[in-house]
Amino acid sequence: VARMSAPTMEERKACWGARDEFWQCLDRHADDAAKCEKLRLSFESRCPQQWVKYFDKRRDFLKYKRKLETEGYHPPEAAGKS
Amino acid sequence: LGRRLAVVAAAGLTAGAAWLYLREEKARRQRARRREELRALALGQGDFQLLDQTGRRRRKADFRGQWVLLYFGFTHCPDICPEELEKLSRAVRLLEQEPGLPPVQPLFITVDPERDDVAAVGRYVQDFHPRLLGLTGSPEEVRAASSAYRVYASAGPKDEDGDYIVDHTVLIYLLGPDGLFLDYYGRNKTDVQIAQSVRRHMESYEPVLE
Repeated sequence: VARMSAPTMEERKACWGARDEFWQCLDRHADDAAKCEKLRLSFESRCPQQWVKYFDKRRDFLKYKRKLETEGYHPPEAAGKS
Repeated sequence: LGRRLAVVAAAGLTAGAAWLYLREEKARRQRARRREELRALALGQGDFQLLDQTGRRRRKADFRGQWVLLYFGFTHCPDICPEELEKLSRAVRLLEQEPGLPPVQPLFITVDPERDDVAAVGRYVQDFHPRLLGLTGSPEEVRAASSAYRVYASAGPKDEDGDYIVDHTVLIYLLGPDGLFLDYYGRNKTDVQIAQSVRRHMESYEPVLE
C-alpha cells in the first residue's frame, strides 16, 4: 500500500468546507445527526479518516465548552452515576 | 476661580503623566525580568543538521545573524498547523512592509520525520510564504532540534490506512540573531500582535547570553 500524501491546501479547504456544512446542519437540527446524513457522508468522503475522528472530538469539545459557558460547571454527582 | 481651575488642571495633568510613566516603568521591568528568565533558559543552544525543501543541508549556525520565526508542525495536520503557518506568514508580511526593519526568516520544522520527507515538506511550505523554509531530516536529527527548543511531540495511534496525528506543542518561536529563543506566541496571539512584538524586540535587542 503506497503511503498517502498529506492533503494539499485545496484538499484541506474542501475538507474544512464539508465539515462546516455538516456542523451548520447539526446546529440547525439540534445535533440530530440523522437529519444530516448526506452532509455527513460528504464530510467523510472529503476528509482523511483521522481528520474526521479529530473533528468529531473537536465538535464534542466545543459543545462541552459552550455548555460550560452557558450553564456553568456542575460537578458530577457522587454515588449512583457511572 | 480661574486660578483655582488652572492649579487643579496642572495637578491633574501631572498626576496623569506620573501614572503613565509608572505604567511604562512596570512594563519595562516586566520585559527585563522576562529577558532574565530567557537568559536562564537559554533555549535553543546546540546545533541541528537538517535538510531544507530543496535537499540542501542547513545547520542552526546558518541562521546566525537572522531573526527567525519558527514553527514546529507536520504536514498531515488537520487544521492547527495550516492556521498557525498562515498567521506566521501574515506576521512576516506585516513586518516586510515596515521600512528599516531587518528581514525575518520564516521557518517550519517537522515533528513527523517518518512521513515528512524533503518532497513532502516542499509541497507543504509553498502554500504559505515564498520565503518559508521547511526543514526535515532523520528522526534523530529532528528529535535533537525539537528537544533543543523543548518542543513536545507525540505520534498518536495509526489507523488502518497507517495515518496518525502528532500531538505537539503549538507555539511560534522568535529567535534572535544569536540563535536563541527570545519570545513565543501561542494560538491566541494574532498576526498583528506577533508583528508588534517582533518589532519591539528588534528595537531593543540585546544578545541573550553574554
